[in-house]
Amino acid sequence: MAHDVEVLSRGARVARALLNGYALAIYLFLFAPIVLLVLFSFNANRYGTFPITGWTLEWYRAAVSDYQVHGAVTTTLKVAAQVTLISAIVGTAAAFPLVRSRLPFREGIRIVLILPIMIPGLLIGVSLLVLFVSTFHWQLSEETAVIGQSVYTTPFVILLVAARLQGFDNALERAAADLGANTFQRLRRVVLPLIFPAILAGALFAFTLSLDEFIITYFLIGANNTLPIYIYTQIKFGITPEVNAVASLLLAGSLTLLAVAFALPQLVRRARRAVMRVTTA
Amino acid sequence: MTTVPPLADADSRPDTAGIDLRGVVKQYGTQAALRGLDLQIRDGEFFCLLGPSGCGKTTTLNLIGGFVAPTEGEIWIQGKRVDQLPPHKRPVNTVFQSYALFPHMSVLENVRFGLKMDRVPRDVSSERAAQALGLVGLEEFGSRMPAQLSGGQQQRVAVARALVKRPAVLLLDEPLGALDLKLRQRLQIELAQIHRDVGTTFVYVTHDQEEAMSMADRIAVMNGGRIEQLGTPEEIYRGPVSRFVADFIGDSNFFEATVEGAVAQLPDGSRVACAGGRSGAATLMVRPEAIVLHGGDGSIAGHVVQTSFLGSYIRIAVETPAAGAPVIVALRDGAAVPALGEGVMLSWTAADGVVLEPGPAA
Ligand SMILES: Nc1ncnc2c1ncn2[C@@H]1O[C@H](COP(=O)(O)OP(=O)(O)O)[C@@H](O)[C@H]1O
Ligand SMILES: [Mg+2]
Repeated sequence: MAHDVEVLSRGARVARALLNGYALAIYLFLFAPIVLLVLFSFNANRYGTFPITGWTLEWYRAAVSDYQVHGAVTTTLKVAAQVTLISAIVGTAAAFPLVRSRLPFREGIRIVLILPIMIPGLLIGVSLLVLFVSTFHWQLSEETAVIGQSVYTTPFVILLVAARLQGFDNALERAAADLGANTFQRLRRVVLPLIFPAILAGALFAFTLSLDEFIITYFLIGANNTLPIYIYTQIKFGITPEVNAVASLLLAGSLTLLAVAFALPQLVRRARRAVMRVTTA
Repeated sequence: MTTVPPLADADSRPDTAGIDLRGVVKQYGTQAALRGLDLQIRDGEFFCLLGPSGCGKTTTLNLIGGFVAPTEGEIWIQGKRVDQLPPHKRPVNTVFQSYALFPHMSVLENVRFGLKMDRVPRDVSSERAAQALGLVGLEEFGSRMPAQLSGGQQQRVAVARALVKRPAVLLLDEPLGALDLKLRQRLQIELAQIHRDVGTTFVYVTHDQEEAMSMADRIAVMNGGRIEQLGTPEEIYRGPVSRFVADFIGDSNFFEATVEGAVAQLPDGSRVACAGGRSGAATLMVRPEAIVLHGGDGSIAGHVVQTSFLGSYIRIAVETPAAGAPVIVALRDGAAVPALGEGVMLSWTAADGVVLEPGPAA
């Protein structure tokens, strides 16, 4: 934190120290369970809790060779891939009129479009269940879960892409038009390349959200299991160290994806520069 | 080029080369940005639109470029009516004030962009882009990204990118506005050179009168959505048609006067020389460098309230009952400089006393 005043009275110093301690306590409270989970996944103790009796990779081995885990991971990845694709395309397309057109009630439309972020997942799950089953008479499947998850993840893409479009220098599009680019060429050559990092970040976000989405999926996926649902069903029979290992892997995967999402704009820029150097050399 | 269908013949007038704006009005809601503009710009000339902020310069440029549609009136470029054509179908290219270089493309890609849109073969476009970069002295910079260039270099890339398409008209909207004075002066010279090299019509927008004077073949001084005066820099400087133009271009001294023939009577009763042109109540305008410290017939008396050494000349301010504000006199370096508070006599030749419509300060 940038300190606004560098010379402080003793009272202010004490207050600042207390505040820092308080913040530390909150972080501990938030992250200690996660740290413990990872710790236990390497714990030789077969009940997956304290005391720590030794270190082992046994639970990871068990998790990786479990066919139920395999099935759940496959389903999770298939669902996540579809959700990612749908959110990226629908979300990007929706962001454009939101920022660019002179729609009446634009602010209202914006709120409606991003409402699914704020609506409880329970509500999305139940209402879609009613719609799909009682109204359309569909079988619940991976696909219904994909639709349900997309309702929830698409607004994140909309938000990210809209923010990027908001900051987009309109002179660039004018310049492209001035140089002979028609509407399609302007989109393809200038606008999309420049908002691409936001689309990619949104897609990664959607992927991560989909990976561990539970409530909506639980209502809509029918007989299939995604990883979160599999873990949940396992926990019903007691927490095994294997579940700790699976959850830790999920955590590692999500964190990696998030890190990539944040580093992405930089990476894209660097890659582009490298390509440019090769092609113009 | 597409062949012109017979019906369109009435629409093409080859005698009107260059740019022709006829009765152009642009309304934004109830507010008029342009109130009936008639303007002919000749083929190949360096033309400046000059005026204070908000007078409609950018709007005029955007109308020619096709980014803004006129509310009324017609726009012709090289004998072709263009006011219903989108920007990418006009023989016009623009240098934007913010340069608007594509940040995700190298300098060479930026310059080649327009040729790529025209489906010019890659080897040809590479060569023409390199040529255009050479024209602005940046042949070594093709592989750089725009963010790796200085402001002046970015500006030159923007010029190269617009010129590579060999447009009939190049539009420049305050292209040097973001640069510091030294660089601006250097680029002014470069732009004028480029203009001579390529022979394209330049329409250049600026609010800086010195910039306009130093570069333009002709200047249109705009005010409140209208053209107040159009002419060469010298014509406008020597013969401003209004107090607004005189005030905007160069420094000037104004006197309330009653004119009779070639004599103007000032409020304190003194009678001075003027160019005439109208009789009765008028505003008399005299440039600071036209005034000499010389007594005798047709001079006014005052005393010096300030002297400033400005390098190439010395400026003195003289308070006199003949004028409301102190009269500014520019003395060439080396002239005898009066002391502060000293009484002086000011006079000028009849030709230097420009008679304008009466009116208060703008
Ligand atoms: N898009 C717009 N909407 C409303 N008014 C505008 C718009 N563009 C320009 N104007 C108005 O038109 C007038 C002329 O603007 P402009 O051509 O940009 O002036 P200049 O370039 O000489 O500073 C100004 O009063 C400005 O407020
Ligand atoms: Mg402007």
